[in-house]
Formats: sequence, structure tokens, C-alpha cells
Amino acid sequence: MKPRFPGYDVLQQAGSWDLVTAGVVLARLAPPPPLRFFTVDEERVARPLLDRLLAQDGPPEDESRIPVLEHIDARLAEGETDGWHHDDLPEDGEAWRRSLAALDEDARAVEGQHFWELKRRAQNRLLENVRTAKTWHELPASRVWNLWMRYACTGFYSHPSAWNEMGFGGPAYPRGYKALGLDRREPWEVREVDAEDPEPWARRVEAARQRQDSDHAAR
Amino acid sequence: MLPNDGSRTNHALRASMRRFDDEEELDLVVVGCGAGGAVLTQRLARKGWKVAALEAGPFWEPDRDWVSDEAGSHPLYWTEPRVIGGGDPVPLGSNNSGRGVGGSTVHFAGYTPRLHPSDFQTYTADGVGADWPITYQELRPYYEALEAELPVAGQHWPWGDPHGYPHSPHPVSGLGMIFQRGCQRLGIDVRVGPVAITNGRFGNRPHCIYRGFCLQGCKVNAKASTLITHVPDALAHGAEIRSGSMVRSIEIDDRGRASGVVYFRDGVERRQRARAVAVAGYAIETPRLLLNSACRQFPDGVGNDHDLVGRYVMVQGAAQTAGRFPEEVRMYKAPPPEVSTEAFYETDPRADYRRGYSVQCIGPLPITWAEHVVAEGHWGHVLREYLCDYVHWATLGVLCEFLPLPGNRVTLDEERDRHGIPVARFDYTQCDNDRALMRAGSQKMAEILDAAGAQDTVTIARYAHLVGGARMGAGPETGVVDRNLRSFAVPNLYVTDGSVLPTQGAANPALTIMALAARCADHLAGGAASA
Ligand SMILES: Cc1cc2nc3c(=O)[nH]c(=O)nc-3n(C[C@H](O)[C@H](O)[C@H](O)COP(=O)(O)OP(=O)(O)OC[C@H]3O[C@@H](n4cnc5c(N)ncnc54)[C@H](O)[C@@H]3O)c2cc1C
Ligand code: SF4
Repeated sequence: MKPRFPGYDVLQQAGSWDLVTAGVVLARLAPPPPLRFFTVDEERVARPLLDRLLAQDGPPEDESRIPVLEHIDARLAEGETDGWHHDDLPEDGEAWRRSLAALDEDARAVEGQHFWELKRRAQNRLLENVRTAKTWHELPASRVWNLWMRYACTGFYSHPSAWNEMGFGGPAYPRGYKALGLDRREPWEVREVDAEDPEPWARRVEAARQRQDSDHAAR
Repeated sequence: MLPNDGSRTNHALRASMRRFDDEEELDLVVVGCGAGGAVLTQRLARKGWKVAALEAGPFWEPDRDWVSDEAGSHPLYWTEPRVIGGGDPVPLGSNNSGRGVGGSTVHFAGYTPRLHPSDFQTYTADGVGADWPITYQELRPYYEALEAELPVAGQHWPWGDPHGYPHSPHPVSGLGMIFQRGCQRLGIDVRVGPVAITNGRFGNRPHCIYRGFCLQGCKVNAKASTLITHVPDALAHGAEIRSGSMVRSIEIDDRGRASGVVYFRDGVERRQRARAVAVAGYAIETPRLLLNSACRQFPDGVGNDHDLVGRYVMVQGAAQTAGRFPEEVRMYKAPPPEVSTEAFYETDPRADYRRGYSVQCIGPLPITWAEHVVAEGHWGHVLREYLCDYVHWATLGVLCEFLPLPGNRVTLDEERDRHGIPVARFDYTQCDNDRALMRAGSQKMAEILDAAGAQDTVTIARYAHLVGGARMGAGPETGVVDRNLRSFAVPNLYVTDGSVLPTQGAANPALTIMALAARCADHLAGGAASA
């Protein structure tokens, strides 16, 4: 995926953020603490699961990876849920444990291998099956999917690297925004590359779909 | 909380706050300090009442406690356990209710429309919903007072009972421009406002800086929340706001009157005595508290003789549709509440549904925006591609008036919270009218976005604004409380929050909740509680 906002780095603005916000956001860049909630077996399933959900396809040692698993682990260890659960799904921590075990069961039943041993294409196939199933291992599939995506997206899209990718201006207190209106930017915001490079939106979505479908797991 | 000396929080006001003893019999104890609770407390403090509001959550200090960050704002919401069920379960937490002084007004968007006169008699006029035991005219002076107190900014309002606003409208962002452009091309009337956000300085409150974090608590203090409007005034007039105090039950004495509340503070169970009790804990926690207060006189919950407590809880159908535009919209700028239309608010005789909806602009931040894309079934590479395109998208939201139904209710679950109190279970299922309205509203948003030139759209089905659960009625068979919000069963027990709404209209509820609480205060100050 080609960067849409070349050179944009929201962290260059960190000096203008209030201290409390800066503290919370910059802490996300620190090396994550050891896992506390997930067992080793759960971790082995959860890592590739989250990588597929968020298309984080770089190698594990890649500096630019957003540590989503660690974010979820910390939340579940601290019981920081969203404040509700469905009556037909256990509370969030237990729902995570059960769904990870079920996913690995699928991998072994369908492919004869652990989930983490499969190629991306096979992993994606199993996941698409969960997304579109009605009941999955006696759990309401759409609610499991929603749970995974909710936690995954909160971890990913709270990270400044994700904001850079989307051109988001980030925390803006106390300075605020001055340039309101269409096609207007603050002096420090970067114009989207599309303006000079008019690749139609529909074609970009189609290309992303193809990336999703193809097995480009060369590893 | 905002002093004039340039510092940002009035610590002296809190330090000098009056503190009552548990043993002292107060004139009134209020449970919950959100929209309804804070206004009631402030009004009666001004009348010289001995009044304390017991609030489960913290007493916020915006500079110290709040951040301009989505994930970091998690502590603002009620995230203690709750169970949801029914045919169309409604997620709670961040999308629905707050916890702490100011309640949900801390993180509400700040839209402050009034209900329409027609909302007060939907049963008579349209054969659906329920008639209120009061009229619009009776509430109007309170709407006017609160619009001045918050204060509200917006253009002259042509719908319902036409009226103006004390502050002129805010400048319009890219998102608002898209909305206006689409409506203009379709001949739909739109207006800027009404929002409880200062436009220009207001007393010691600074101007909005258009940073778009209204739903994360406005650190600037430009957006009104009762934490910075009615609470400081209540303190200045001798009220106590007792934070960190989770009320477990209302105590009923041998004469069948409320004598105070039992609550937990720092893990210790305590009792606060009072001559009257007002419950204002939000549409989920208020029924939960009434049900958890079951006692000898009220074995099924206080005021629940007719099995009405917890029933008729409503949510507005709040689908959101986003459109993709060639221009950069950058919808995170400016307050998410800005422009709205009530052109579809009233029953359309040609439609196959009764009642209507309003359309407003919504500026989701990255995590929320991801939810929109996920709702379309996208994940992996496609999800990332959509998210990278964030600056091109503009989001509209509808508020559909869903009908009050007896089966949509709060009950007690077997699960208990850390205090050992049974948690609330909320079951919700839409009726056919609800579904038809949500379809119509979603279609209208798509039409507006198409007319504005959208190249692609995504839609998410959502709900917003829980109300009901202890509805006002003409008599004990139809309501938990009467027209003055007094419980039919217990003469000195009041409910003063969104739970009392018999119907909800297609307007955001906070202003109406505050107006009802202010009206109840006048009734109480007239000597009612000692009756
Ligand atoms: C994201 C979001 C955006 C919104 N935007 C708008 C908007 O633009 N316009 C609008 O009009 N409305 C909006 N709302 C809704 C609005 O905020 C609520 O309808 C309103 O604040 C409800 O008022 P209330 O008095 O019923 O309860 P709340 O304001 O929620 O107050 C209830 C308080 O009671 C406390 N409490 C509960 N139980 C207990 C107990 N047992 N003991 C002690 N304390 C207790 C809670 O901690 C809370 O502080 C929004 C809501 C959300 C979540
Ligand atoms: S946009 Fe304005 S009102 Fe909203 S949080 Fe920012 S400063 Fe406050």
C-alpha cells in the first residue's frame, strides 16, 4: 500500500499537545510490557489473527508494526471492557479465550495444522468463514467477529503510526484547528497524494481487495 | 469551576464545598449528577435547600483528567458490567452513558434541540407511542431558561415551535458544507446548530477551538456540561456534590415514605438520611436502582406495583451514513455537532410509518471511523485502504423516533458488580415502524450525500440516547411518576432524568431532560415534598 501522506508525522506536533494528552499518547510508543493475560498458546493464535484482521503483513521484527496484541492483553488483564456483553457470549476475557481456542481447532480440523502454521491465504479463509457464519463453535459468529474487530481497531487506530497513515491531525489541544472547510489544511498537515496522483478511489479499493484475496505470503 | 483570574479550575470552590453528615437529615438527596441530577441540585440549592448529589463516578478536573484522545477517554464512560439481549441488542458503554460529575453531558456531542409540540401527544395525533401528562407549553419556559444558561448557539429554528438562540451560529466546517450542499441541491432546509458550545467567550469560558474532541470531554471548557455550568453554581449556593458514592438502594420507612439512601463510598456501606429522594442515574441505572431497592412494602422494586419500572426504555435509531468526496473534508475538525435538519421530524401522511427523524452531521474520529468500515464487512487490506482515505469522508447521522414498547426493558441479571449489586440487563427489539423509519432515514442520508457528489457510501446501524424506564404517566397504571416527576407509589420520591420520557421525539434528549428537572425543582420548591 502506497503512503497517502508522504512525510507526514503527527508526532512532530507533540510539543504543542497538553502534557496529559502527550503522556497518554507517547506511552503507546514505549516497548510493550510482557503479556499478562494471554497464555502462550493463545498468543500463538492471536498474533496471526490480529495481523490478518489488520493486514499487518510486515515481518515480526518490523519497527513500524503497531503492538495490537499487547494493547488487547493489557486491557483484558485490567478488565478494561466496554461495559457490556451480549447475553449469549461470555464476558470479554473469556470470549477471547474461547474464540482463540476455537479458531485453532478449525485450523487443525480443516487444514491439519495449527493456525499459526498456516499460510496467510488459509488463515484468511478460516477468518472469512467466521465472519460469514451464523453460529460458530456454539457462539454467535457475528458477535465474536465484532469483539475481535472492536478490540483490534481500538488498539491499531489509537497509535500515532496509524494516524500518519490516514493523515489525521491528532490531539489538538490547546492549539486547536484553524483551517476549516473543504480542501483546507493547517500549515503542518500534509496534502493527500491523490491530489497530484489521481488514482480513482474505486480502483484503489479494487486493488486492496485483490491484495486481500491473493496469497502473497512469500515467507 | 471556572474562575475569573485566568487559572482554569476553581479549586477554592471545591475545597470550601459544604459537607453534610450522613446522620443529618437533608431536604433532598439526589442520586446521580448528570444532566437531570445537576440541574435539580442547582435549582434547589438556590432555594436554600439542604441538598447533596451522590455521584458514583469521580469529580472531574478537566485539565488533569481528560485527554484529546479517543482510547484515552475510556474512563469517562460507565464501563461497569451490564448484559444486553433481545432481538436487536443495544451496545452500552461509550456510546451511551457517562459516569462522574456531569454524567453523560461530559461526553455528549452538545446538540441541544427542543422537542416539538407534537411529541407531547403522539398517541392522540398518530395513534402510536404515548401522550405526555404535560404539554409543550408547560415546558417551554424551561427550555428558554436552559438555552440561555448553557448557552446554545445556532441559527433561527424554523421547526416545531419556531424560536431563536441566544448565541449566533458557529462557522461551518468542510463536513457541514457537504451536508449543506447536498440539502441545497435537494431543496431540504438545513440550519447551523443548535449546540451548547460557546461562540465567542462566555463569562470565563473560552471560545471553541474547533478541535473535534467533544465526545471525549471538552478540555477547553467551550462545550457545556453540567460539570462546568450547573455544578459550580450549585456549590456556590451551598449544595454538596459527593463523588465516588455508588447508591445501592433507596430506603423506605414504615409509613411507605423514602427516608434516605444506602450507598458505598471507599468500599464502606453508608446511609444518607433525607426528607426526599430524587433518582437521576440514567435510563439504565435508574430502573436498576428502583428494582434493587425491593423491600417489604415493595417486594418487586420501589414504585413497581404495576410492573412498569424498567419498561418502555427507548433508543433512537441512529444509523450513520458516510460519503466519499474528491475534496479533503477532514471531518475531525470543528465540533462533531454543527449542522442539522428537522425537515423530516413530523409524521408524513404518505409514508408507511408514523413519526419521523432528524439528520445531523457527525465527525467520527479514527477508532469510531474504523467501526463504520468494519460494519460494512471490511477487514484486512480493504479496511486499511478505507481508513487511509479518512480525510475524504463526510458522515451524517439520523435520529429516528423509535417507539416505546413494554418488552424493551431493564431487568436485574444474576451477574453482580464488585459491590455485590445485581447488574442491569437490557433487552431491546425493534418494531416494524422502527425498522421502516430507520430504512427511510438511512435512504435520506444517502440521497443527501449523493446529491452532494459522493463517490461511495458506507452505512452503519447504530443506536443512541437511551431514555424511558420510569415513564411519566397520567396515573399509576400508565406511569411510574406523575406530571411533576413524583413517584405515584412513594410521595417523596422523584425521578429526574431521561428515564421519565414517555416518548422521545427525534431530538437529542439532554435539553429536554434538563428542562424537566428544572420544572420539577419549581414544583418541589412550591412545597410538594412535605405533602
Ligand atoms: C457519545 C454520546 C453523545 C451524546 N450526544 C448528545 C447530544 O449531542 N445531545 C443530547 O441532547 N444528548 C446527547 N447524548 C445523550 C445525553 O448525554 C444523555 O441523554 C443525558 O446526559 C442523560 O441525562 P441523565 O440525567 O438521564 O443521565 P446522565 O447524564 O448519564 O447522568 C447520570 C449520572 O448518574 C450517575 N449514577 C448512576 N447510577 C448511580 C448510582 N446508583 N449511584 C450514584 N450515581 C449514579 C452516573 O454516574 C451519571 O453520572 C449523548 C450521549 C453519548 C453517550
Ligand atoms: S470542538 Fe470545541 S466544543 Fe468540541 S471539544 Fe473542541 S473546543 Fe470543545
